[in-house]
Amino acid sequence: MRRSRPWLLVVLVGAVLGVVFAAVSTYDFVQHLDRQVHNLHCSFLPGVSHSGESGCQVAMMSPYSSVLRGRIWGGVPISLPALSVFAFLVFYALDLALTRRKADPRATGFLALAAVLPALASLVMLLISLTQLGTTCKLCVCIYVASALCLVGGVALWRQAVGGRGEPAPARRRRHSEPRGEPAFVGRGHRDPEPRDATRATTGSDARLVALSGGGASAGFLAAAFAIGVGFVAVPVALYLAMAPDHARFIGSCEGLLHPEDPYGVMLRVDRASHDGVPAPAIEVLDPLCPACKAFEHRLAASGLAGRLDRKAVLFPLDSACNWMVTEATHPGACTVSEAALCAGDKAPDVIAWAFEHGEQVRDAARSDPAAAARLVKQRFPELASCVGSPEARSRLNKSLRWIVANNLRVLTPQLFIDKVKLCDEDVDLGLEYTLSAMLARHARGALAVVPAEKPAPGKPAGKAP
Amino acid sequence: MIAARIAIAAALLAVPAGLTGAWVRSADTRLTELSKAPVELAPVASASDVGYCSPELKRILRRVLMSCGLVGGNAARGCQPVQARSVATMSGHDFNALFKPMQDRGGIVQFDQDRSEVDAADIALVDQVFADQRGASWFFVVARASPEGSAEHNRELSRQRAEAVMAHLRQQFKDPDLDKEVGMLWLGEEYAQLEAEFCAWKRSSTAACNTDQLNRSAFVAWIDCQL
Repeated sequence: MRRSRPWLLVVLVGAVLGVVFAAVSTYDFVQHLDRQVHNLHCSFLPGVSHSGESGCQVAMMSPYSSVLRGRIWGGVPISLPALSVFAFLVFYALDLALTRRKADPRATGFLALAAVLPALASLVMLLISLTQLGTTCKLCVCIYVASALCLVGGVALWRQAVGGRGEPAPARRRRHSEPRGEPAFVGRGHRDPEPRDATRATTGSDARLVALSGGGASAGFLAAAFAIGVGFVAVPVALYLAMAPDHARFIGSCEGLLHPEDPYGVMLRVDRASHDGVPAPAIEVLDPLCPACKAFEHRLAASGLAGRLDRKAVLFPLDSACNWMVTEATHPGACTVSEAALCAGDKAPDVIAWAFEHGEQVRDAARSDPAAAARLVKQRFPELASCVGSPEARSRLNKSLRWIVANNLRVLTPQLFIDKVKLCDEDVDLGLEYTLSAMLARHARGALAVVPAEKPAPGKPAGKAP
Repeated sequence: MIAARIAIAAALLAVPAGLTGAWVRSADTRLTELSKAPVELAPVASASDVGYCSPELKRILRRVLMSCGLVGGNAARGCQPVQARSVATMSGHDFNALFKPMQDRGGIVQFDQDRSEVDAADIALVDQVFADQRGASWFFVVARASPEGSAEHNRELSRQRAEAVMAHLRQQFKDPDLDKEVGMLWLGEEYAQLEAEFCAWKRSSTAACNTDQLNRSAFVAWIDCQL
């Protein structure tokens, strides 16, 4: 006789771990609904927080961390349905144990199928992390492991149940047929325990019990389990959608452009995206070596809204080599790269794209050797060699900075203005799709305007560029 | 058994639903409170206003700028010695002392005797200094002449030197703000002659420095003060 392995316990442990880590991830996401910057719990140990840039930060701020982003600020975090699914798996595993169905091929098969869902989602998210984000988040890895445990346990339990069904059943003659017409899911608990106990006394095996019961869970049982699973996901998501704060009130409350015109000719095209319909005029204030600007560019591209913007850029390098408004080179080499972009004219998008791609390399090189940025730029764009560093280029970059001063902008990048109205700094990451969609809709209606906020809108800490 | 299973289902459903509800409500409460609270925002971009911009310097700067046509809607451009002396209301030595903190922001464009044309070295220095505007709001061109010749001739010669620098800036930088930010003074030989200590400044001539040569010049500098 085969020894029964505790696969149900494996599923239970995986599901409980999944609940814990998905809950922590959901908490991290939800706390950002207050539009503030928060530490994340990015650790293999639940509850250990982490500040600054991390894989968890990258993953959470990426467009893959939530769904329905255009409908609700930040969207619904995918960790919330994950939490729900794991909670359902805990319930279902406990239910199998309580109703002694762990040897039921159909009931355990449903468990295995249910476990496929988080496993598949984990696989997709892992692939996205590796191929799109270039990093993994510890908390996510814990969820992947929990998903794997559930899947392995679920499949093994099912295989064990299927295998056990084929074993000889000495008491088969005492077979009980499935009672007809009883409540599909909870009703299974009504079975008369007497024959089962009698059988257990004889065989000591749930497999034989299922064999006696004539093939396991009914379609009604499985349908009810499925419905309960859907409920586990639908109720929290519906609750989230219903309770999420209204962020539309902040649109237009974050200052605007006083002088959007370009008397100095310093505005550059920032992308080569084709436009959908009549695009809204947009001005982006950016630093070509600013990681936050690069991330914003990626988020904007992923949002699918870039094509609805006729976007121009004003360069605002946060580098004290040319920018008197910062006391140190937050992004060393940014002045040189900005000069290159201004020198490049129509090819400015190429310079900016190169800077985004090689930003870390340029910053690191320029940090130890201020001339390194110019070398790298001239190496990549030899046609700009005579222009970069020239008095004309420096003067033009200075005019770009003076455009910033003339518009009383914050010393911060990136900043995006749609038809003179600023996309609030708090809306450039999680809330981008929702807020930008709303701003574009208002612009199309002619209703987008700077509105004086009755109360000051929340902001991020001063003097710190992202 | 049924009750136990329902209780388990309810308890486990309450985990995602309850936690989510509580966290969202908490975030909403914080959002409301923060919306009412004063906030700390990133500083606003502004022109430079550095340490040497004392109230006294600003007062004099304002008077000079107004009298010399940069601010206040005065149509005239440039100040002559008499005007400069009267608006500055100070000795030439004290007037020059105002510019000393700007040594790393300025330079001295040196001309040949009785000449007002800028050569390549002059242009290079002007371009270098002007391109390094940073946050400065005002660019001063203060032209002088050495004492040889009549006061009238030297006054005119220094005006031509200031204009030569201005013409080059116009041609080279095509800056729409030029007339709003460049102040010209031509002092001839009559007021605020440069003293030998200005030999230490960036100069367009590599020849040995003496005060006569130093005053055949246009002093150029950005002034990092807001008015």
